[in-house]
Amino acid sequence: MKVKEVMTKVVKSLLPNMGAREALDALLNIEISGLPVIDEEGRLIGMFTEKDVLKSILPTYLESVGKFIYADDPKGIKTKVQDLAKIKVKDIMRKDVVTVGEDTALSEVARIMLTHKIRRMPVLNKDGKVVGIVARQDIVKGLVF
Amino acid sequence: MNRFIFKFFVLLAMSIGSGLLGSRIGLNLQQSIAISIFSVSILGTLFFWDFRLSFAFLGTSVLLLTRTIDLENLIKSASLEVILFLVGMMVLIGLLKESGFFAWLISLILRMRRLTAKKFLISISIISALLACAVDEVTSIIFMVAAILEISDYFEVNPIPFIISSVLTTNIGSAGTVLGNPIGILIATKSGLTFEDFILKAFPLMLVCLAATIILVCLWYRRPLKEFDRKIKEMGANDILIKLISVPPEKRLKIALGIFGFTSFFIGLHHRLELMWDLQPNTILLIIPLISSGCVMIWRWQRARSYIEKDVEWWTLLFFLLLFAQAGTLKYTGATDIFAQKLSSFVGHNPLALRGVILWGSAIGSSVLDNVVLVAAFIPIIQSFQGMNFNLQPLWWALLFGGCFGGNITMVGSTANIVALGILEKEKHLKINFFHWLGIGLIVGIVTTGIVWIFLSCVRLTN
Repeated sequence: MKVKEVMTKVVKSLLPNMGAREALDALLNIEISGLPVIDEEGRLIGMFTEKDVLKSILPTYLESVGKFIYADDPKGIKTKVQDLAKIKVKDIMRKDVVTVGEDTALSEVARIMLTHKIRRMPVLNKDGKVVGIVARQDIVKGLVF
Repeated sequence: MNRFIFKFFVLLAMSIGSGLLGSRIGLNLQQSIAISIFSVSILGTLFFWDFRLSFAFLGTSVLLLTRTIDLENLIKSASLEVILFLVGMMVLIGLLKESGFFAWLISLILRMRRLTAKKFLISISIISALLACAVDEVTSIIFMVAAILEISDYFEVNPIPFIISSVLTTNIGSAGTVLGNPIGILIATKSGLTFEDFILKAFPLMLVCLAATIILVCLWYRRPLKEFDRKIKEMGANDILIKLISVPPEKRLKIALGIFGFTSFFIGLHHRLELMWDLQPNTILLIIPLISSGCVMIWRWQRARSYIEKDVEWWTLLFFLLLFAQAGTLKYTGATDIFAQKLSSFVGHNPLALRGVILWGSAIGSSVLDNVVLVAAFIPIIQSFQGMNFNLQPLWWALLFGGCFGGNITMVGSTANIVALGILEKEKHLKINFFHWLGIGLIVGIVTTGIVWIFLSCVRLTN
């Protein structure tokens, strides 16, 4: 089975100059954790996910500091949440996006997802345009049922 | 891309030029090749930081292919003992981090009572220096910057003066012990200086320089300090900060601290134990981190692979290994003996002048270069002074302090500077102007190096 048979074909996308807050609202409205970012010429230039939003509002040195517990929300995080209205999607989106072609086999997509530790991928046609998005759940459904 | 190619050709031209220049001052072909390849590594760190390991791999291969050095001597020169020491210490630091030790230190800073701006600046300066002495400058600066950002966020003040002060004192503190900086252990293993020597001579001198630095930053940043005091009065006590983060005093944290304490204790006594057990110099110093990290990997066996793969910075260590091998080639070919003779003639065989040249030369050099690169180059030259009736100990101290303190002069002078500025840019989108740094960096660099110069000129140091 090919990925085009299980992917979500109607893809909502985001523009790189859109406000990050507005883009986050779009994610929450359609209950999806990430959307592709496409420029005016229709080229995929990144992925904007809830994880990227969390990464942008939490301190970058969290992992380096090691184990601790936040007993309250730091002021810096609150400020960064407010700043989401001022920054653009392109400032926090992930730029190194792993993609697949629409004729890729499901097992290959599953292999890429596991080895790259990703949950969803944009699907591109032969012209490099985004034609769909495939999530881990789509692959499991396609392979098992 | 054009800029990349231009820099590449500059590197190539300067490296070949240094070899040709070497042959003009009497170096033979092998010595000229060795100096050219070492120049590639030095300039590679300056122009192509991300490619420095590639240059080190290729350069070392050329040394072997051209028979400038043989395999046996290359491995002997690679200072595996220093690399293993650093691996062991990195595993221990990984354990401390995982156990919450550093977050606990941050929580202590956040809990500071009856906060005033000056008290805050002095406290972070002292903690930065002492933490750098105990772990290393790069590990230390991450936690200090994290604590400073939390406090400056809370009181809505500019963090830059406090971050710069913390970085300056971190670099000062890194000269205080063998553990503070990779050049500390490198100099200790090559010079025969013990941990006790560092504690008795380098540590007190570091404290004097730390005090001078604190006075200078308090004066330099008196306006931001007034602004901070005003904010403290306006916003009241730091109640929220006090309970902001917590680290449960779990059994693992206590054991981790116990292991680190055990390691530090035996490192401190290494020389006496080596004498008592009739072991080769530095045997205990080098094996204690290995014993401790070995025990850690048995205790936390599920995480053992992660300590080695994630906490040990193999990229940096492999670069060091090949860099030491290349510096060893300079010695093997006899190039450093010639440099030593030239340098000795240049200073008129005057020991005081030689100390000054090494101290100021290494300080100026490390203000733009990675200090490990610089120290690796200087070590075989200082070793070559052995046969020229110079007292080597002051020269080793000059190299240590010059290498550490020179890093304060510019914003790219040490890894701690680059790490701190990187966090500041990511977190606050704040970029420090080169000349903003240079203002206070140059003053601190000149004053602290000057203090060391006076000390080295006035105090009699014997081997």
